[in-house]
Amino acid sequence: MPAEVFSDIARVDARGKVLGQTQYGADMHLPGMLYAMLVPATVAKGAVSNIDITPATETSGVVRVLSLGDFPTLSPEINYLGYPIAMVVAETLEAAIEGAEAITATYETAPFIPLMDSPGATVVPSEGFDTGDVDTEFQNAAEIVEGTFETPAQHHNAMELFGTVAHWSGGRLTVYEGCQNSDSARNALAEAMGISPELVTVKSDYVGGGFGQKSPPKLQTALVAEAARLTQRPVKLVTPRGQLFHIANYRPRSIHNIRLTANSEGRLTAIDYDVVQENWPDGGFRSNGYHEDVARLYAIGNLRATAGDIYIDRNMPRHTRGTHPFPAGFALESAIDEMAYRLGVDPVQLRLDHEATTDIIVGQPLAPHFLNDCLREGARRFDWSRRTPEPGSMTLEDGTLVGLGVACGIFGASGSAAETTLRVRADGTTRIISSGHEMGQGIRTAVANAIVQGLDVNPDRIEILLGDTSVGPQMATVGERGTASIIPATVKAVQALRARFEELAGPNPPAGNLHQQLARLKRPYIEVTASELAPGQDASALEAFRTGRRAGAGSEYPGFTSMSYIAQFVEIHIEPGTRRIRMPRAVSIADIGRVVSPRTARGQMHGGVVWGFSTALREQSEVDPRFAGYLNDDLADYVMAVNADIGEVDVGLIDKPDTMVNSAGVKGMGELVMLGTAPAIANAIYHATGKRIRKLPIRIEDVL
Amino acid sequence: MRGLNYTFAETADAAVTQFAEAGGSARYIAGGTNIYDLMKLGIERPAHLIDVSRIEGLDAIETDGDVLRFGGRALMADVARAPVVRDEYPVLAESLLKAASQQLRNMATVGGNLLQRTRCMYFRNGAGSSTTVGVYLCNKREPGSGCAALGGLDRTQAVLGTSEACTAVAPGDWPVALAAMDATIEVFGPEGTRNIPIADFYLLPGDTPHREFNINPGELVTAITVRKTPAGRTSTYHKIRDRESYAFALASAAVAVEMDGDAVRTARIALGGVATTPWRASAAERVVVGSSLTPELALEAGHAAFTEARPGQHNAFKVELGARVIADALIIAAQRRV
Amino acid sequence: MTDHGCNNETSSGVTRRTVLGVSAGVTAASLVPLRLDAQEQVPVPGPENGPTTHISFQVNGERVTIDVDGRASLLDLLRERLALTGTKKGCDHGQCGACTVHLDGRPVSSCLTMAAKVDGRQVTTIEGLARGDELHPMQQAFIDNDALQCGYCTPGQIMSAVACVTQGQATDPGAIREFMSGNICRCGAYVGILAAIAQAAETMEG
Repeated sequence: MPAEVFSDIARVDARGKVLGQTQYGADMHLPGMLYAMLVPATVAKGAVSNIDITPATETSGVVRVLSLGDFPTLSPEINYLGYPIAMVVAETLEAAIEGAEAITATYETAPFIPLMDSPGATVVPSEGFDTGDVDTEFQNAAEIVEGTFETPAQHHNAMELFGTVAHWSGGRLTVYEGCQNSDSARNALAEAMGISPELVTVKSDYVGGGFGQKSPPKLQTALVAEAARLTQRPVKLVTPRGQLFHIANYRPRSIHNIRLTANSEGRLTAIDYDVVQENWPDGGFRSNGYHEDVARLYAIGNLRATAGDIYIDRNMPRHTRGTHPFPAGFALESAIDEMAYRLGVDPVQLRLDHEATTDIIVGQPLAPHFLNDCLREGARRFDWSRRTPEPGSMTLEDGTLVGLGVACGIFGASGSAAETTLRVRADGTTRIISSGHEMGQGIRTAVANAIVQGLDVNPDRIEILLGDTSVGPQMATVGERGTASIIPATVKAVQALRARFEELAGPNPPAGNLHQQLARLKRPYIEVTASELAPGQDASALEAFRTGRRAGAGSEYPGFTSMSYIAQFVEIHIEPGTRRIRMPRAVSIADIGRVVSPRTARGQMHGGVVWGFSTALREQSEVDPRFAGYLNDDLADYVMAVNADIGEVDVGLIDKPDTMVNSAGVKGMGELVMLGTAPAIANAIYHATGKRIRKLPIRIEDVL
Repeated sequence: MRGLNYTFAETADAAVTQFAEAGGSARYIAGGTNIYDLMKLGIERPAHLIDVSRIEGLDAIETDGDVLRFGGRALMADVARAPVVRDEYPVLAESLLKAASQQLRNMATVGGNLLQRTRCMYFRNGAGSSTTVGVYLCNKREPGSGCAALGGLDRTQAVLGTSEACTAVAPGDWPVALAAMDATIEVFGPEGTRNIPIADFYLLPGDTPHREFNINPGELVTAITVRKTPAGRTSTYHKIRDRESYAFALASAAVAVEMDGDAVRTARIALGGVATTPWRASAAERVVVGSSLTPELALEAGHAAFTEARPGQHNAFKVELGARVIADALIIAAQRRV
Repeated sequence: MTDHGCNNETSSGVTRRTVLGVSAGVTAASLVPLRLDAQEQVPVPGPENGPTTHISFQVNGERVTIDVDGRASLLDLLRERLALTGTKKGCDHGQCGACTVHLDGRPVSSCLTMAAKVDGRQVTTIEGLARGDELHPMQQAFIDNDALQCGYCTPGQIMSAVACVTQGQATDPGAIREFMSGNICRCGAYVGILAAIAQAAETMEG
C-alpha cells in the first residue's frame, strides 16, 4: 500500500493536445482514402419497401453504394428512426453527402411506441429487492417524505463525433476509431467480417470524450470495414451529429417514486423505492440497478425496491455518465433534503448522522470510507454555516433569491484484472504496455505518475501504449474502473522492476538515474510484466483480461463492498424578475481513495460539476411522439453548459487510500464527480424559492 | 448538397447582374453563417453562390451625420465595437454582442443577419439532409404542405403573430433592436434602390409563411440606417435564453426611452424570441409614456405587450417571461440616463 | 454504380483533379512537420467531383493553391485536403467552436466558412501557433492550468483564447467566460480555461 501521496505532475499528453497533434480516429489520413455517408431511415418502425440508389450511383464521384442486402445490418426491417439503410462511398466527402441525399426510399410503416407514457406502453417488471421490514417502519414512522422524480433522456454528446477509418492490408483489417472498449470493437468486427480477431486491429489511442456512448461496438464500424473491403481502399466515415442522436445510445428517461421514513428520534429508517425506465427488451441498461448504489449511501436499514422497463421504439438506451446513481441520487438526495426540513435538522448534519458502515444490499461491511470528511470539508470551504434554512430567507440587495444546497453521490468502486509490461531502457526512454483508453480522464498521466513516483526515470520520455489492440489487451474503460484497475498492476510492475534492478546491480549500484545506471551496467533495458487481480478474483480473470473478455469485479467483493463518495455544495441565484437561474459558486469534495494523478483528478472534479450543472439545468433530448425522433438533434437545440454558465468551482480530494479495494488503494471517479450536483441544485432552488422541483432539467418556466 | 458555382461580385451592380444571369438558381452569400448552414440542412439548394462580402464600400460604418449608416456587409463584430454604437446606442451594441458567438460575429454581416431564417426545429431539422434525420412538414419550406410544429413540441415557438400555418419565431436579436430604433433598410436590385422602413420589412406568416421578408429576388441589403436620437443612450437589449450565452432568445426586449425626471417622455419597445417577426410592442409603449416609471408600471407595460398572445401547449410561460423581460429592460434603460 | 463505372469515374476524375501547384505541393507536405510519420500520411488530394473554385491562400504562413469543390467548407479543406487535422469537427453547423481558426487574424468557425471564401486571405490553425518547439504562451497556459481533458475541443478553445487576449477581452472573469462561450467543452474544463487565459493575458501583454 503506497503510504505517501502522489505528487502533482502535469498532464503527460497535454502538449500534443495543445499543439493539435494528438490524433483521434477521424484524423487518420491514408492514401487513396474514400469518404462514406450513411442514409438514415425516415420512419420509426416498419420496413423499407423500396429503395432507389440509382441517383447516388450516378452522382459524380460516388464509388460504391452499400444498400439493402449488401451487408447483414443493412436489412429492410426498421426498428427506430435513423437506422442506416444504405451507405454511400465516394471520392470526396461532398460527393458522398450528395449521393446519400439523392437516395430515396419508401416504407411500410408499423405502429410504434415513442415514449414511456405513450398509449400502449406497458411496464415489464424486473426483479426487485427487499430487506428489513419496510412496512413496519412506515407504520411506525414519525415523518414520511414522498415524491415522484423524473430525469429525462439525455445524450452524451462528446465533442468528438463517431469517426471511423478502416483499411485492409494483406487480409488484415485496421480500424482507427475513438472507442472505450477497443477489444470488444475488435471482436465485433471480426465476427461481422467473418475473420479471426487476430486479423483485426482497433486503434483508439485517444478518444475525444466518451461518457459511455463509445463503449459498445458501433453499428456503422463494420459497414465502413465492409466498404473498405469492397473498394479495396481505405474508407472514412464521420457520422453527423444529427444521425448520432438517433443511432448512438443515450441515457433513458426514468421515473422514480420514492418514500422515505424517519422515526421520532429523527433517524432515517426506511426507503420504499420504485422506478420505471425506457428500455429495449434485451436492453443493455437494466432497470433494477438504480437502487443498488444509493442504498449504500446512508445508514438506512430497510429498503424495498421495485423496478420495471417500458419498451420503446427508439434507439437503445445505455450507460451514460453517472449511470444509475445519477437519477436515483437525484430522487434520494432531494428526499433527504425534504426530510431535513421536516425534521428541523440541517441537511449536512442529517447526512453526517447517518454514516453507513454496512452494505444492506449484500449484507456485508462497507470498506472504510470518508463521506463525512467530504461533507465537513465541503461545508467548511463553502461556508455552509452562513445558511439560514428558511426558504427564501437569503436574498441579495436587488432582490435576487439565494439558495444554498447540498447533496452527496456514491458510485461502486469496481476493478478489473489487469496486466502491464514495463521496460526501462538505457537510452533514456521508458515504455509501458498498458491497458485502457484515454478519454481525457487522465489515465496516461496516472500511469506515468505511478512510474515516476517509484522509479528514477526521465519523466518526459515515457511511452504509454494503450487503446490499441495490437499492443496488448485493452480493457473496457467504463464504470470508472480504468485507472483503478491499471494502477495497482502498474505499481506492482514498478516494484518488480526496482527489485529486478537491485538484484542486477548488487549491493553497490552505479550512480545516476535508472537509465544511466543501466547504461553503466551495460544493460540495454530491463523489463518486467506484472499483473494484479481485483479482490476475490482468480487466474481465470487474468485469462479473461488477456483474451479481451470481461474481467471486471466489484463493487461487491468477498467480505466487503467498496464505493466512491462525493459531497457537493452549490449556491444558486434566481433573478427577481425573469427568474433566471445561475450558479455563481460550487464546492465539490470527493473520496476516491488514493489520488494517483492529482491534477487530472481535479480536472475531473471540475468537469463533473459542469456535467452535473448541465444535466440539472440544461439538457433534454426532446422526442416528438409523432415521429419518435429527437427534434433537437444538434448542439444548438440540445443545450449544454457553456463557459458563461459556470461560476467559481472549488474542488478537493480526501486522498486517503481504500485499504481493501486494491493494493494501490485507488478508487474511480469518472462517474462519481457529477452525481451530487443536480440534487444540490434542486435543493438550492428549494432553499431559494420554497419550490421543490422533481423533474430535470429545471428550466426558467419552473420557477417563474 | 449539390455541386455549385461560386463567384465573387466586386460591385453591387455586378452582383445583381450575376444574379440575373444565373436564372433563379442563385443566392447571395455574405458571411454564409446562415445560408451555408441551411444548405447543409437541405433547405437552401442554390446552384450558384454569389459572394457579396468583398463589394467595395459595402462594409462602411458611418456615424458622423444625422443617421447611423451600416453597410450591408459590415460584420456584426465591427458594428458592435464602433465607438458611437458602443457608447451611444447600447441597444444596438448589446443586440449584436448577445447574438451567436464571437466566431460567428466575425463572419456574419449586419445585412445578412436581417435575413436570418427561423430556428424552428421542424423547419430546420426536417428537410431530410444527411446532417439531420427528421422529415417534418413545413409551410415555410414547402408552401401548403402543413406545419409539424402545430401539435408538436412548441416550447420555443412564437406566441405573437402566429397563424394556423406557422408559429416559427423570428430568430434575430439585431433586427429587434432595429425595430425599436425605427431603422430603414436599403436594398439594391434590378429595379434600383429601395428604402424600406423596418416595420414593413418583415412579413407576418399568415397563409404564406414562406414569404418572410419584403425583398425581391435579386435584391441585396446594401445598408441599414438609424436616425440618431438621444434615446439611444438610454437603451438596452435584454435577452433571456436557455443558457447564459450562445443561444437564441426565449424572450428578449429592445428598449429605448427618453426620460423627463422619473417620467417617461418617449418609449420604444420591441420583442424578440416570442413573435413571428421582430415585434414592436406599441401597447407597452403607451402604458409607460407620460407616467413615472415604477417597477409595477414597467410590469404592466410588459403584460400589455402580450394581450394578443396565443400560446400553444408548452410555451405559455413566454407570456409572463416576456412581460418581465420588458419590465426589467425598461428599468435598466431608464437607469442609464446620465 | 458498377465497379467498372467506378474505375471510369476515378480515371475521368483525373481531368478534374485538384490542381496543386508545385510550390503548393511542397507546402502541403510541410504542413504537418511535427507528425512522426508525416510522409506516410500527407494525402495526395484526390479528384474533386463538383464544380471547383480555384483559390490561393496562406495557411500558417505558407501559400496553398488548390481547386476545391465549391461546396466544401474551410474545415473540410483543412482536414481532408491539407491534412491539417488539428482543427476539429464537432457539429459542422457553427454550434460548438471545435473548428475555430483565425481568418485574417480573427476567429471564425471553419465549418461554416465556405472554402471558396478564403481566396487571397490568411488562415491560421492550431498548427500555426507555436514557433518551432516553443509553445505559444496560450498553449503553455493551457498545459499549466490543465485547461483540457480529452483535448478534442482544445485547438478551437486555444484559437478563441488567443483572440480573447489580443482583442482586449480578457479583462475580467465575466468577460473571458462570455467571449469563450462559443467553444463548448463537454469534459467541462471551463475553470481551467478561464485560469489559462488569465495567465496568458499577463504573459502575452508583458
